[in-house]
Amino acid sequence: MNKEALIVSEASMHTDTMFLNMGPQHPSTHGVLRLGLTVSGEVIAKAVPDVGYLHRGIEKLMETRTYNQGVVLADRLDYCSAMPNGLAICLAAEKLMAVTAPPRAQALRVLMCELNRIASHLIFMGTYGIDIGALTPFLYAFREREMILDLFEMCCGGRLTYNYMRLGGVSNDIDDNWIAKCREFLEFFKPRVDEYDTLLSFNPIFRSRTQDVGLISAQTAKAWGLSGPNLRGSGVNYDVRKSDPYCGYDRFDFNVPLGQTGSCWDRYYCRVQEMRQSVRIIEAALADIPAGEIMAKGLAKIPKPPAGEAYAHVEASRGDLGVFLASDGNAAPYRLHLRAPCFINLAVLQEILVGNKVADVVAILGSFDIVLGEVDR
Amino acid sequence: MASTKDAALARLLEHLSSAEPAAHPIKDYPTVRLSDPAEITKAAAFLKDELGFDYLEMITAVDWLGPMQLDGLAAARTAAHPFKETPLKADPPVTPAPGAGAAYRPVLDLLWSFGNLRENLKMFLRLEVPRDQAEVASLTALFPAADWQEREAFDLLGVRFLGHPNLTKILTTEDLAGHPLRKDYAHQKDRFDE
Repeated sequence: MNKEALIVSEASMHTDTMFLNMGPQHPSTHGVLRLGLTVSGEVIAKAVPDVGYLHRGIEKLMETRTYNQGVVLADRLDYCSAMPNGLAICLAAEKLMAVTAPPRAQALRVLMCELNRIASHLIFMGTYGIDIGALTPFLYAFREREMILDLFEMCCGGRLTYNYMRLGGVSNDIDDNWIAKCREFLEFFKPRVDEYDTLLSFNPIFRSRTQDVGLISAQTAKAWGLSGPNLRGSGVNYDVRKSDPYCGYDRFDFNVPLGQTGSCWDRYYCRVQEMRQSVRIIEAALADIPAGEIMAKGLAKIPKPPAGEAYAHVEASRGDLGVFLASDGNAAPYRLHLRAPCFINLAVLQEILVGNKVADVVAILGSFDIVLGEVDR
Repeated sequence: MASTKDAALARLLEHLSSAEPAAHPIKDYPTVRLSDPAEITKAAAFLKDELGFDYLEMITAVDWLGPMQLDGLAAARTAAHPFKETPLKADPPVTPAPGAGAAYRPVLDLLWSFGNLRENLKMFLRLEVPRDQAEVASLTALFPAADWQEREAFDLLGVRFLGHPNLTKILTTEDLAGHPLRKDYAHQKDRFDE
């Protein structure tokens, strides 16, 4: 190229930002999330997450339904991990009614929530691998998840939405056959977590795509109100099971895995380690299931919690799921607000996506493990 | 544990002129009720900077207008479908005990929840604003977490957060008028209702 041509091209060259629409129908957004990206070359200059495509008005619907019908709706929030959703509502209503679930029901709640946490983290691990380009782990993850779904089906008939939690207890009991099956699953599953480490966690390609990408400092994570593995990946030790124990979680011995730098890989690996901890909790719970009833005695068929307000929160698979309940003494909640962890986790995207490459958007978004059913409610 | 909780509560009450412990706390957490809307920023800043409550957990509100009327939605449903949806509230609503904090009145009862993760404390702030003039200062400058939650409260309950950089609808569609979680919200018929 001669010198004259070079001058011409420089003078005519002008740089501009470009608007890039991602979603709402995009396979890597895990549902109907739309990202409005303004890119300067390959670098994100501005990111505007747009949510609400799946808004069904669940909070409003609950105002015309009884509490136990509300649990049915709650299953549709975070449908990858439906057990803890109903639990949060039941705990809030139980606080108002001054009812405690019997010990056996509490043990069953812990069992189911932890099994569901493993199932949910398996979905995350499988789909996150696909997001990055590793297709194989998905098949392994779903093989194991299938076994958990079989356990749920054996117990309560549901495979995705369980409607298992009841105000004052749970809907179905387990028998020795179920316990044997569950033990069988745990024995099968324990060595599998190490297998995932060799397949994906410490795979050099996977690590180079996720380590030092999407860093969130502990301070940023707290300021934006993140919770669950997304917060713990940044090294903040906050787990509702430890800080505000419910259903007898304080009886169990388990660790809270923490990340160090708040990278995508840290968030990912927190979840993998949480699966190991959940196995510990399930084993301990199985070893000592109290005998007795699974429903509190003396509850009306359609319970009417007395007027008042209560807040209860649980460590759902994706973070701190809170239920604020205002009752006026009727059979339906007067107002029920859900502190949806996915919704709150997602807001931080507008800050941390800026400055990253377009190719890393998928890696960062995937590491948040969002479920749009809960984001939009 | 209990002493740090009480100490934090006492220091907050001392710092604010319009605050007092709520007559009916949210079970089972310390709840402070403000009577002066201007003090919310002061309260949040004090909680954050002095008492270590640097984690804004939740912002929401309750519309205490009274039981929901099913007119809009239920009527449309019955016309469209052969089965009749039985309104749950057909029986006269229970009059709430006046002392339980659930008396019907034309206010939006705002609610903020702050957490102190280091010392494992939680604190609720309440503030009543009139329904027709639901305005309160935004906390976005102190807590980025307030951004989307305030937008949600604006969208669903019609609370205007003054000073919010981008107070726009977030969950409902662009063409939806009104605020669905207000008790007097009526369903707007669209082409699917006919």
